[in-house]
Amino acid sequence: MLRWLAKRIIAAALVVFVVTSLVFVVTHIFTDPATVSLPLEASQEDRASRRASLGLDRPLSVQYWDFLSGLVVGDLGESFFQTQPASKLVFERLPATLRLVAGATAVTVLMAAPMGMLAAWWERRFADHAVLGFSMASISAPPFWIGYLLIIVFAVQLGWVPTFGSSGFKSLILPSFAIGLASAGRLAQMTRRGIVEELRKPYAVTAMSRGFSRSYTIVHHTFRNVASGFVTMTGWEVTRMFTGYTVVIEVVFSWPGVGRLAVEAINDRDLILVQAAVVVLATMVVLTNLLVDIARRLIDPRVDLA
Amino acid sequence: MTAVENPMDPAAGAGTGDAAPPESVTVMAELRSHLWKSKAGISGIVICSLFVLAAVAGPWLPLIKDPTKQSLPDRLTPPVGWGGTWAHPLGTDQLGRDILARLIDGARISLLVSVTAVIIAAVLGTVLGLIAGYMGGKIDTLIVSAADVQMAFPGVLAGLILVAAFGPSVWLVIIVIAISSWMVFTRVGRGLVFTLKTSLYVEASELAGASSRRIMWRHLLPNLVSSLITLCVLELAAAILSESAFAFLGFGVQPPRSSWGLMIQQGRNYVTGDGWWIVTFAGMAIAIVVLGVNLLSLWLQSFNDVAEREQIVLERPGG
Repeated sequence: MLRWLAKRIIAAALVVFVVTSLVFVVTHIFTDPATVSLPLEASQEDRASRRASLGLDRPLSVQYWDFLSGLVVGDLGESFFQTQPASKLVFERLPATLRLVAGATAVTVLMAAPMGMLAAWWERRFADHAVLGFSMASISAPPFWIGYLLIIVFAVQLGWVPTFGSSGFKSLILPSFAIGLASAGRLAQMTRRGIVEELRKPYAVTAMSRGFSRSYTIVHHTFRNVASGFVTMTGWEVTRMFTGYTVVIEVVFSWPGVGRLAVEAINDRDLILVQAAVVVLATMVVLTNLLVDIARRLIDPRVDLA
Repeated sequence: MTAVENPMDPAAGAGTGDAAPPESVTVMAELRSHLWKSKAGISGIVICSLFVLAAVAGPWLPLIKDPTKQSLPDRLTPPVGWGGTWAHPLGTDQLGRDILARLIDGARISLLVSVTAVIIAAVLGTVLGLIAGYMGGKIDTLIVSAADVQMAFPGVLAGLILVAAFGPSVWLVIIVIAISSWMVFTRVGRGLVFTLKTSLYVEASELAGASSRRIMWRHLLPNLVSSLITLCVLELAAAILSESAFAFLGFGVQPPRSSWGLMIQQGRNYVTGDGWWIVTFAGMAIAIVVLGVNLLSLWLQSFNDVAEREQIVLERPGG
């Protein structure tokens, strides 16, 4: 187990290294932070002095080494626009994004597991079709639109929760649902399919022929066997949240997270800050995948994760 | 929804395997008859056709106004049924532009971006998948690692960096969507090639001295087509959603061109007040089209499953 874990952590670190290097290629070879920060009509002298002030006139290998050694100690450069360390700005915003992802994951799991079980229990009956209908609708609607619909109905019309911003638990509800509904729709179908397949296997048929009800067999026999797949798929949804959903939903709800920071930084032409936000979000994705692998291994030690 | 058959159900249509189709029944005819039995398939086809029609023939449709014509006296006219008139069936936006006309105009950009991106991703991904699966060895390891890294570095993050570096543009969005979807084709293609390459006809053509390129192109690729088309449709739904998200963030189409995502961005200040229809209708357009594509993909998946099952029945020893 320890050996496996060490291997897995090294592989994850390697992915972070490759991803950050790719980011460096885009931000320093294809273009550079000085060019991005200046307007198109800026003179050559302006460019040269801006490059010098940001240390971009040094050889690329030196810059790359600086970038990598900074990364190890958590230094992600200085935000040009806000004249503060980029890592400080990003890590200030990270808790808000983590809260949002946690809320959305809770919505996803708490909706998907029961819906998947219900659909499998009443296979090819009304509940099954209803869950399929929900899944199709939720994965087809763009999450930012769901966000606005939720705002129109629950914040404006009913006034139950605040419209924008992040103030306490109540403000977390709408954005969590805006993200979680689509994830729940996908995950519910996966769960249903997994349980239906398990129910056809001899052990489940035996259990039911011994007189256990279909629902008892689903909860006590089959769900344990689909749990590993369920965790993997939940992990997939969490990575989707980090890399897509949170960005748009944070913009919709003015949520002070890393995704909105990245969008603001793009509008401020602050390449270093965008780079820092992207590196941190990509690291979250890699960490999520690592945690999922560990969880799967704990749930089902037979899983071969060489 | 009660009457819609459940194509995600692996057991659906399990009985059809016994009645092997006569040889004269072509794939197309079988596809058609399968389509008529599936409400999901029909709805998907109808929605997708309307979408393509709006995108291609939009400007020539009768009674459709100029999507860029502003008219400030008419700004924020509500839709018919909420106090509006048939002059603007879905109302007008904050600059008095006709919403229906802008929705139809937006279909064009949505179709253009998503289809182009999926084609690029499919071609690139499939070629890499074929090479990885057939060649194996170091090339395979390299391509699989690249796909794994891409999985860990999804498109939106690449999109943020590229937009920050090069500024927003439609072409960038196409490239970003293609980047975030090629590895799906690579993985599926590679997996299929793995199982196909040990089959008799591939070994036979190897013995006959066919080149690797010929085997991949003439013998392996045709066997991947049906799976890849299903995958294309699935990825198309994701691509339309991605395009709308990028447009919403302001990183795609720039005004005065319209796009569904951009309409939501521009209309969002009116969500809480007197202009809820801008965001509502634009989002509805995206949702309905994506739903159509998803229904189509569900139906194709169920058709492929049945076809596969029949294949197994036909190939069964003594069957």
